[in-house]
Amino acid sequence: MSTQYSILFKQEHAHDDAIWTTAWGQNEKDRTETIITGSLDDTVKVWKWSDEKLELQWTLEGHQLGVVSVDISHNGALAASSSLDAHIRLWDLESGKQVKSMDAGPVDAWTVAFSPDSKYIATGSHLGKVNIFGVDSGKKEHSLDTRGKFILSIAYSPDGKYLASGAIDGIINIFDIATGKLLHTLEGHAMPIRSLTFSPDSQLLVTASDDGYIKIYDVQHANLAGTLSGHASWVLNVAFSPDDTHFVSSSSDKSVKVWDASSRACVNTFFDHQDQVWSVKYNGNGSKIVSAGDDRAIHIYDCPM
Amino acid sequence: MCTVASEPHKGKVERSENACILMASFGWKRKVGEKVSKATVQLFEAEAEAEAEAEAEGAGHEPDDDEVDWLHAIKRRREVLLEDCAAKSKRLKDEGALLAEEGRHWEAIRRWDEAIQLTPEDAALYEMKSQVLTLLQEVFPAVQAAETAAKLRPLWWAAWQTLGRAQLSLGEVDLAVRSFQVAVHLCPSERPLWEEDLSWAQMLQRQSREMHEKARQEEEARQQLLHAPELVPDYDFESDEVVAACTAIAERQKRYEGLRKTAVLVDARGTVVTTPESKDNPSPPQSQFVKARGP
Repeated sequence: MSTQYSILFKQEHAHDDAIWTTAWGQNEKDRTETIITGSLDDTVKVWKWSDEKLELQWTLEGHQLGVVSVDISHNGALAASSSLDAHIRLWDLESGKQVKSMDAGPVDAWTVAFSPDSKYIATGSHLGKVNIFGVDSGKKEHSLDTRGKFILSIAYSPDGKYLASGAIDGIINIFDIATGKLLHTLEGHAMPIRSLTFSPDSQLLVTASDDGYIKIYDVQHANLAGTLSGHASWVLNVAFSPDDTHFVSSSSDKSVKVWDASSRACVNTFFDHQDQVWSVKYNGNGSKIVSAGDDRAIHIYDCPM
Repeated sequence: MCTVASEPHKGKVERSENACILMASFGWKRKVGEKVSKATVQLFEAEAEAEAEAEAEGAGHEPDDDEVDWLHAIKRRREVLLEDCAAKSKRLKDEGALLAEEGRHWEAIRRWDEAIQLTPEDAALYEMKSQVLTLLQEVFPAVQAAETAAKLRPLWWAAWQTLGRAQLSLGEVDLAVRSFQVAVHLCPSERPLWEEDLSWAQMLQRQSREMHEKARQEEEARQQLLHAPELVPDYDFESDEVVAACTAIAERQKRYEGLRKTAVLVDARGTVVTTPESKDNPSPPQSQFVKARGP
C-alpha cells in the first residue's frame, strides 16, 4: 500500500489516435482487472492489468468512426461502446467478440452507462432524451425526456434509485428510475457538462463543465454543496473513488486532479500528460486511477489508502 | 508582442497605410520622456485614448480609466500599445469580414494578414482566412491557415470544421473525416457538422475506397488479359480447345470493358469522385459563404 500519490505505469502509443474514453472493471469470477479504452482511431482496446503493468488483450474492431464512450458491466463480463457512427456495440470481454450492435439513430449515442444491475444501458440523445436499451433485447426499452438540449453525460446512482444527465447548455436533470419521473432540474453550469458522477453512497453528485468548475450537489435536496476551481480549462471527466473519500477530475489543461470529498480541497495534481486528458477512472477499491487523452497514452497512478 | 517584424505567415505582406501609421506611432512613443515635449505626449496620449475608446465599442473591451494618471503614463506605455494593437487588429478583422461578404476576397485576405501582424495569436483571423482561401481554390495555404487556427485554439470546433473543409478541397478525404470528428466531439450539438460535413466526407471516403477497389480489379482483369493461361502454347491445339480459349478470353475482355465503363465521375474540384446521386445521399455543405467568427 502506497502512502502518497505517484505515477505507476505509462502505456505510450496505446492507440493510433486520441483516446477519448476509458473504463476500469473487475471480473466477478476470477477477480482479474480489465481496462478498456476507446479512441478516435475507431477501435476499442481491452487491456489486462496485472503485475502492475498493462497487457493488450483484444483490439475490438467494428465501429466506423471514433469511439466516444465505453463502460464495463458490474460483473466484468461485458463492455459497451458508443461511437460517432451512431451505434452502440456490446462486447464479450472474455472472447473479445461482438455480442450485439444497436443502431441508436444519428446523433443519438453519446455517453453509455450500465445500470447498477447491468440489465440496461443508458445513453443521451440530441433531443434531450435519455434512451435506455435492454442488454438482452438489444432494443430501446424506455425513454426519459428532459425536454432539454443535447445530453453529453449520464450517470446512474449506485443504489439504483436515480439517473442524472448533464446537457450541453449546462442543465442537470435527475430522474427517479422507479417511476421515470423527473425529480430535479438544476441550472448547474452555463456551459456544457461533459461528465457527472454519484458518490458510492448515492448522496452526492459531482459535475464537470467547460466553464472550468466542478460542482457538488446534495442529491436528495438538490442543493449546491460546493463549487471547486483549480483547472485552467475545460473539466472533461470526473470519477468518484469507491471509498467515498475522494474524487478525481481530468481537464484540457493536461492535468489530473484528486480532490478530498469532505474538505473539497485538491490534494494532488498529476501533470504527466502532454495533451488534453479526456478520461479518468478509479479501479474497484480506489487504490489506482487510470487516465488517457489526446496524447494517446494511458497512465496508471497509485493512491494512498 | 506587437512587432511589425514578426511574420508568421508565408506570402508577401504589403506594408499598407495602417502598418506605417503603427510603425510611426511606435517610434513616437519610444521617445516619450526623452526629447518630446510633455504637451505633445499629452496630446498623443489623449488621441490614443480617444481612438482606443472609439474602437473598443462593441469589441467587448473594458472601458478605459476615467482619469489618466500622467505620472504612470510611461509605465502604462506597453499596455496602451498592446491595446492599440488589439483594437487595430479587430478593426482590420471586421473590415476583412465585410470585404469577404462582398466577394472582395483578396482584399479581405490582405486585411487579415495585416491584423495577423498585430495579433499573431488570434485564431479567428487564420480561420476566416482559411475559409476565403478555400473559396479561392488556394488549397494548400487554406489548409495551412486552418491548421494554425486549430493549433492556437484546439478546443474551438469551428477551426476543426474549417480545417476539414480545406482538407476536402485538397482531396485529403481521410484527414477531413478526422478533423470533422474532432469538431463533432467538441461540439456535438452543432447539427450541420453531422448532417453536412461529416456525412458528406464519409460518403466521399466510401467512394474513394470503392474507386481504389475498382482500380485494383481493373488492373487485375488487365493482367489476366495479358497473361491468359490459354495462350500458353502447348503446340497441341484441338479445335474445341481453341474455341474454348477464345471464348474465355472474350469473356475476360468483356469483364474488363465492363469495369472500365462503370462511371466514376470526378466533380468540379477535380479531386473527389462521385457517382450519380440518389435522393438520400448527403450533399456537400451549402454554407459556402464566409462566416465571420470570433468574439
